[in-house]
Amino acid sequence: MYNLRLLRKVLPGGCHSHQRCMASQHKRRPQPGGLPPDRLEQLRSDLFERHQDLSGAEWTEVRQSLVDSYKHINGHNVDAVILGVCSGPHQLSLAKNYVEFLRSQGSAPNAATLGRLLRVYNAAYHERPLNSTEQAEILEICRTLQAEHETLDANSCEHVIHGLVATNDDWQSALPLLEMMKVTSAPTVAAYSALAEKSFNVESPEQELAWRLLEEMAAARKPPKCEVYLALLNRLASESDKLPAQLKRLMQFLERHEILVSQRVAERLQELAQQVPQLLEVSSTSLGPLGKCQACQKHLQPVAITDEQFRQLSECFLERVLIRRDVFQRSTPEEVARFKKYVEKTAPYDCVIDGLNVAYSTGTKKSPQQLAKLVATVVRHFRDQDKRVLVLGREHMRNWSKQAMHYVQSNASLFLTNNLSHDDPFLLYASMRSGQDTDFFSRDLMRSHAFHLGPELKPIFRRWQQQHQFSLVTQTQTGRIIVKEPVRHRLSAHEVAGTWHVPYCEAYTQHPTESFEVPANWLCLKLKKQTPAKVKTKT
Amino acid sequence: MLKHLVRWRLGSQLLKGSATPVRYASESTSGGNLLTGIEETPKKIVNPFSQPSPALSNVAISETKEDREKRLKVLQLEADIAHQEGRRVPALDFFQDHHWEHVLSLPTKSARIKYFGYLWQIEMRKESEQRKKAQRAEDTERRKEEMRKEREENTHIIYGLGHTSMFLRIYDTTMNHFQNNRLTRAMQFAPKIVLDCSYDEHMNNREASYAAKQLMLCFAENRLNDEPFDLHYCNAQMESTCMKGLQRYIPTMLNPEFPMNLHSKCFTELFPKENLVYLTPHCREDLVTYNPDDIYVVGAMVDTMNNEPLSLAKAKRLGLRMAKLPLDRYLQWGSGSGKSLTLNQMINIMLDLKKTGNWETALKHVPRRKVIENEFQQRREKSHWGTGTKARKLNIRIDHLLDFEEDRRQATSFATPQKVRQRREGMEFQLDTWATGKQKKKQRQN
Repeated sequence: MYNLRLLRKVLPGGCHSHQRCMASQHKRRPQPGGLPPDRLEQLRSDLFERHQDLSGAEWTEVRQSLVDSYKHINGHNVDAVILGVCSGPHQLSLAKNYVEFLRSQGSAPNAATLGRLLRVYNAAYHERPLNSTEQAEILEICRTLQAEHETLDANSCEHVIHGLVATNDDWQSALPLLEMMKVTSAPTVAAYSALAEKSFNVESPEQELAWRLLEEMAAARKPPKCEVYLALLNRLASESDKLPAQLKRLMQFLERHEILVSQRVAERLQELAQQVPQLLEVSSTSLGPLGKCQACQKHLQPVAITDEQFRQLSECFLERVLIRRDVFQRSTPEEVARFKKYVEKTAPYDCVIDGLNVAYSTGTKKSPQQLAKLVATVVRHFRDQDKRVLVLGREHMRNWSKQAMHYVQSNASLFLTNNLSHDDPFLLYASMRSGQDTDFFSRDLMRSHAFHLGPELKPIFRRWQQQHQFSLVTQTQTGRIIVKEPVRHRLSAHEVAGTWHVPYCEAYTQHPTESFEVPANWLCLKLKKQTPAKVKTKT
Repeated sequence: MLKHLVRWRLGSQLLKGSATPVRYASESTSGGNLLTGIEETPKKIVNPFSQPSPALSNVAISETKEDREKRLKVLQLEADIAHQEGRRVPALDFFQDHHWEHVLSLPTKSARIKYFGYLWQIEMRKESEQRKKAQRAEDTERRKEEMRKEREENTHIIYGLGHTSMFLRIYDTTMNHFQNNRLTRAMQFAPKIVLDCSYDEHMNNREASYAAKQLMLCFAENRLNDEPFDLHYCNAQMESTCMKGLQRYIPTMLNPEFPMNLHSKCFTELFPKENLVYLTPHCREDLVTYNPDDIYVVGAMVDTMNNEPLSLAKAKRLGLRMAKLPLDRYLQWGSGSGKSLTLNQMINIMLDLKKTGNWETALKHVPRRKVIENEFQQRREKSHWGTGTKARKLNIRIDHLLDFEEDRRQATSFATPQKVRQRREGMEFQLDTWATGKQKKKQRQN
């Protein structure tokens, strides 16, 4: 739907614009049937100056001019292109007029045109409720589309879902369409969000369907759009008896899937709190050092994982990350066996250091003496705190400065792998083998290892990593090192003694990147107990 | 309209092969096995339907056949509607059966969109070629008319190519026979090089077809050379995409008289292990000197998508010696397109290495766009006396003499066959300043 997106950027105001700025935006080539922006402007100003309908001759002229001036617009796709241009909420009559014109010419509008018409209906629905004739028309179109083919393709399903969601009574029949979409592709965020939003607006009290859809979306790693949350909050504003239970459910949902809501939702939450101050209190806050909320002065929950989860993680780790399908790609069987034996002998440790990562953290072009000295400095840092350390490295480190390596060898355990092997999995394995208290020292983000663990273990691994990873920031002039300690509190929405702390981000993104930073904006949310007395006093 | 097309295509789809749209499923052979397609076990390792008893596999296959039909219909509808919207999808009658086979095997919608975009490009290109062809046909007609007129007016013999000339035409087959003769002699006496074709399951379809083209080019450029290697293609499974592509390029590949060594066995069974050296970019030791007694093994894979060190893993598992080309020592790598070399570039490098033993000449086959051009400057500054003002004035070129230090016969001050890739700087002959002592205020070319 590149046309629509472009259009929404061009059209000044009047329709809700949530730009989807994907990282690959620069790679997406413009669709050949799409018009360049200036021509779009011109066409829009031509067509939309008159908000009423164009006559048959004028439509023919518009069609002809488009087909003639653009190489890739021909008789097959000009209809869909025109409907793509008239896709704003105020252009509904224009769009309908065009379809009438097509019918009057004798050629039935093709499936793509009808689909885009449904989108226009949906856009209009978000501005104002549709009257019954329009709803009847929508149903007629949906019926036509579904009658032609037994199974619709993903794009058409999405169009029909958007159309049905605009009606009052028939939106339930959009559900089997979602199943139909799964035949060919994973259902899109837009389709899920449209259905979820409608069901939050309309459905009976329990709203099970909406929650089920949200769970499905989160399981498929698709964050719900802001509109879904806004619909829920608007509903709760009017039905405040459901508020505590539903809001709690929402918070638990955000916690379980580690989703960050957008600023719009956060603002709406604050407005909601102002509307029903007896039930809810929300304030925007930030975090002090050691994870203390500035508003309520409570410390956030620590990020530790349970023993059971830790056991699961440590058992599967070596298998999934180091051995994988072919152990020779990362190491050799003899080396894995040798390392296991060594760890059995010298465990437990307080800290495991990634020697190469530490050595190169101030720059790659340093001489071997400087590199070795840096490793020795880090070992001394831990030695001064009376901790047992294991240093991992590669065989070529033997050729570095003898003095520094001697210091390392005498004050810590040292294990050197083959020059061709990956040493990161060994590092993580040694940390896990030593138990829950062992930290590790590396600047590596461990993204590939997190990926190879699989989707169930990845969040557990990330939490463990967050709690235990030290990293070297820099080395000062005097030779002292500055170390970044791990963030020991949780970074997603959670509850601390009855108060929920919810982080939020600036804007909605469809593919949120993994963030290793602490979120800057938090909401401090308190659900008050409902007072049984009928008199409510303002505080 | 759409329904008729769909039904016609499904007829042929039903009779064809493979049961599951597995990602690396091989293309089923068309033609002969129409009726036995159901019984034929798919050859890829990953297919779960190949192991169990025939009764079970029949049931399973027929069930997925219906699903497959359904999916095919829906995908055709998807392509049709996308075409109606004006996206990069060709019209439905452009698609052929093997296109739909490939579409069914793609895992996600975005993969399908990219494939449709590729097909759309082919369609557009075909249309524009047809237009140009029509144009050219007109022009040719006109030219022929003119020539016919000229010939009628002229009563003499007309000399030239196409009329009466003294040049004998040398046909392609003559050249091929000559080169094949050289190859058969190489098979008896020359050092061997192995191309290890066992990486099919790590490549997707596009990469496999690129690999097939590179294998063909290896063979061709080896054959062209004065002293070819004895090339052996080991671990070559004939049903794989890569080998099938190679067969499309060289249809006579399997004929007994064709001088190409194809083995389905592994090279460790054909040659003794002490002589084998696996060339892989992931190891530490450089190849320093060329040893003609060693048999070098090159992994025939295109690994644009894959970054795993597969050739390293294989060499470690088989316990072979490993080496990599000393690219860092002799070339300054630029930022363009990474350090991967195609197979035919590898073979060319090894051929030149065998001939001259000199890495500089051998590494001339690395494409210049990957390398910073400063090496030309470095050489200039090094041998300053040979390229200074005096030499330029006298118009004597001796840069090439410094190349062929071992081969004095090839080096003359006069006519040297210019290599295509050498830059010709300062070659303009200025008569008025030739051999004069005057210094013109020209900019020194730096």
